[in-house]
Amino acid sequence: MKTKIGQVAALGLLMITTAALAQSKPVAGEVAEGSLKGKTLTFVSYGGIYQDGQIAALKEFVDKSGVTLLSDGPTEISKLKAQVESGNVTWDVVDTGDFPPYVYCGKLFQKLDFSKIDTSNIPEGQISECSVPAMNYGVVLMYNTEKYKDNPPKSWRDFFDIEKFPGSRALDGSGDLSGGMIEQALLAAGGSVENMTVADIDKAMEKLKSLGPDTIFWKTGADSQQLAESGEADMIAMWTGRAMTAVKNGAKYTPAWQDWLVVMDQMTVPMGVKDPDAAHALINAYVGKSAQETLAKTTSYTPIHKDAKPEVDEVTAAFMTNTPDKLKLGYQQNIKFWVENFEVANEKWNALMAGN
Amino acid sequence: MATRAIDSRNTVSAVAADDRRRWFRGQAFWLVAPALLLLVICLGLPLAIVTLRSFSEPQWGWQNYAWFFGTPVNLTVLQRTFAISAWVTLVCLIAGYPYAYVMTAVGPKMRLVLILCVLVPFWVSGVVRTLAWVILLQDSGVINSVIRAVGLSPVKLIRTQTGVVIGMAQVLLPFMILPLYSVMKTIDLRLMQAARSLGASPARAFAQVYLPLSLPGVYAGAIIVFILALGFYITPALLGGPRSTMLSTLIQNQVLSLLNWGRGGAMGVVLLIATFVLLALAAPLSRQPHKTGSRR
Repeated sequence: MKTKIGQVAALGLLMITTAALAQSKPVAGEVAEGSLKGKTLTFVSYGGIYQDGQIAALKEFVDKSGVTLLSDGPTEISKLKAQVESGNVTWDVVDTGDFPPYVYCGKLFQKLDFSKIDTSNIPEGQISECSVPAMNYGVVLMYNTEKYKDNPPKSWRDFFDIEKFPGSRALDGSGDLSGGMIEQALLAAGGSVENMTVADIDKAMEKLKSLGPDTIFWKTGADSQQLAESGEADMIAMWTGRAMTAVKNGAKYTPAWQDWLVVMDQMTVPMGVKDPDAAHALINAYVGKSAQETLAKTTSYTPIHKDAKPEVDEVTAAFMTNTPDKLKLGYQQNIKFWVENFEVANEKWNALMAGN
Repeated sequence: MATRAIDSRNTVSAVAADDRRRWFRGQAFWLVAPALLLLVICLGLPLAIVTLRSFSEPQWGWQNYAWFFGTPVNLTVLQRTFAISAWVTLVCLIAGYPYAYVMTAVGPKMRLVLILCVLVPFWVSGVVRTLAWVILLQDSGVINSVIRAVGLSPVKLIRTQTGVVIGMAQVLLPFMILPLYSVMKTIDLRLMQAARSLGASPARAFAQVYLPLSLPGVYAGAIIVFILALGFYITPALLGGPRSTMLSTLIQNQVLSLLNWGRGGAMGVVLLIATFVLLALAAPLSRQPHKTGSRR
């Protein structure tokens, strides 16, 4: 008898908690009707088509919650630092590059409350304490099909092999170091990415330098696209979005997907925002299926919802990175290593960029 | 009588000027106050903060300066920054001097056209102009297509220092031409005729009469162009390669991507002091010829 009462009580308790959980557990893409009426959120990103697409993806959230959404940018971590230092944070949700939320977690960015964000549909290994991905893209090896007719390069190893594959190279020199590219250079130099050390960075840098003085470090995405469309470099490490646009514009280049470098933008909430709950609600809406489909359709970046099926044209679809076959070929950099050695690695990278 | 009248008028105006000068001395401060205030708030204060940060972040001390001078790449780039700026100044001078001279010699209509040619590029954003240079200079670009069509071998222009100097010189040319023109238009061209009538060859008349009189414009233009060139960022980033990176790019790296404001500040302070030192060295140069010129 006693046990029966206990069982019933336990069952009852279980039911209550499940119900409570079900009620408070967030669902990606959803927000309660009118829940943010009278509130204002400022969303910050990199501008252009990308930010327009993000705002379009958030339209449903804005309409339903009643929030006033302001758009600002472009994202500059230094501006955010100034806001956090002065205690006057006006940016509520910030889209950043892949490293900042790791490097400045708990300093500039809040640890996210994952009871308020439904992360169940986000691809594995992309969530950090301070961020969820904003979208995915890749750095892919694009080669000139007219130059390498019968013997095309197949991987980064070929990219770094100047003897077997003569020709000029272009790499991403637009900002922070590309950890994935340095790791590929290290592998091409015969090193190992297991238990990487700072000395390994030097080894990789030597390999990068061995590409020769004519190597181009492009500064902007538009710059890389221009290189492809004018045929300036024979092999170009390109962002998938720019590679796609170049191909659409008639560039005679084709991707070699082996070990394409997985890159993402991050959604973050700065320290000291006035309404963290509202900021979390925005992120939860942003990672929803239909929001991600809108984002992919308008920007051609890869959605970060596993089931998102955006309607896009053939070329765009060819450069989406979330198909099973491409996910298999993708290469994830060792974020932990690069974050731990962020300063020294950047110093070496910047020296390379400055011709030393 | 007539002379007296003129005299008295002169005295009156002299007294008025004197009064004005006296009044000016008292009120001058208020006339310059708005500009001064703007300078203090928008230049002095930030500069002070940057300097302070270069000593205080992450701790108090000389660490950021020790780092700057202990890192070879910084010194290479600093040296390169001054070298590129010097080249740009030289190119602007060579291109701007005859242009400014022609502006003083032609009729008013033609002068208007020439001034417009100088000013119109001013109204186009630097980024757009730089991207136009990319299209002109690249390996498959306009210039190399012409060279190839003529049957010569193409020249490497983009991502070289030559490319950077060309692009920067074009952007900065107005800053050379305008000061040159403003000085040259005050030079009495009859002085040249006088020199010729006294037997000087055209070259000698130019070298001994015109050139010394135009030197203030040369120095003003050269200093403006040189200083502006030191801080250039977009043009070297887009037209140059790693071997033409200038200091502003390294500062940008420290400030924007590494959030190392102490180091960024130290780099800025070093650039500023180096510029002051160079200008101080050039100052006597700019005064002397002018003095001898007027004495003659």
